[in-house]
Amino acid sequence: MSEMMSLQVEVREKAGSRQAARLRENGKVPAVVYGHKKESIAIALNIHEFVEALHHSHRLFTAELPGGKQTLLLKALQYDYLGKDVIHVDFIRVDLTERVTVKVPLELRGTAKGAAHGGILDELLASLEIECPVVEIPKSIPVIVRELEVGDSITAGQISLPSNCVLKTDPKALVIICHEVMEIKTTEEVAAEQPVAPEVITERAPKEGEEGGEESKEGKESKGGKESKGSKESKESK
Amino acid sequence: MALMPKRVKYRKQQRGRMRGNACRCNYVAFGEYGLQALEGSWITGKQIEAGRVAATHFLHREGKVYIRIFPNHSYSAKPLETRMGKGKAEIEGWVARVKPGTVMFEIGGVDEHVARLALSRVAHKMPIHCRLITRRHAIG
Repeated sequence: MSEMMSLQVEVREKAGSRQAARLRENGKVPAVVYGHKKESIAIALNIHEFVEALHHSHRLFTAELPGGKQTLLLKALQYDYLGKDVIHVDFIRVDLTERVTVKVPLELRGTAKGAAHGGILDELLASLEIECPVVEIPKSIPVIVRELEVGDSITAGQISLPSNCVLKTDPKALVIICHEVMEIKTTEEVAAEQPVAPEVITERAPKEGEEGGEESKEGKESKGGKESKGSKESKESK
Repeated sequence: MALMPKRVKYRKQQRGRMRGNACRCNYVAFGEYGLQALEGSWITGKQIEAGRVAATHFLHREGKVYIRIFPNHSYSAKPLETRMGKGKAEIEGWVARVKPGTVMFEIGGVDEHVARLALSRVAHKMPIHCRLITRRHAIG
């Protein structure tokens, strides 16, 4: 279960990208709180404190806001283009009795039997969407893969969830599959699959198009030539 | 022949200009570990193929290698000792346009140590600085 953590926040008076950039320079990250049909509040957090909490899989936070002490659930994160730094955080107001829909990462446990027989485990889904009470959001969902042979698979519906949790992902969705290793292609084999040159969709048909095209080109050139001569003559006369 | 498209609308393209950072393809989507470009560059089909071979040879049929980029942009070059002009030259090769932040290769189904070693070998085949990244937090 995710533990609740108190956050030191300050309400942002000024909005905009410049103000946000200044905040980030000072070791803070801009965030927003919304939900429960109340007005959204722009806040700023200490980035170090928040990232530490994120690494410990905290999702639920409490914070002193203008409306009083509120419980906040982490809703979305925005990263910079390299995915290194968090640049913005979204929180949603929640009640402790509420049920919410969240994504929870999967945790593979054990080594598949098929791995010993030349198979590999392919994790098609890294997280499941579940509905559960706010205070009972699991940090991860364990998936036991010990019994998987080559050709076996686990669907979302086959994964046992903690009590009080309801699966929201399609139960038929493949989560893990143990399959044989594909043969490694050599460079020559890859090259053989490639075309010598790509097919050009807009290329003209060779029969009539070529003749017409050449004529038209010649016509254009002759016209152009006359014009250019004419222009030279006119220049000389001037 | 290295990687290239099967069908194109026009053979020859203008070179264009690469500005800004990657807004898409900048996170690990398929595997567990990825090789992210820290600079912008053209990556040729041959370089991509060299990276694939380096990773698959190291992994010894373990895990799975995903290639997230494809050389869909052609470039032309004039032959040596040719005078300028006389129209655009013939196609020399095909490249993938990679912006800073693009995840070029991904590996799944192996330990982090193995993935790190495999991707470092791929990084040596790339003409740019790269780094290893992992999946982001699942939230929402």
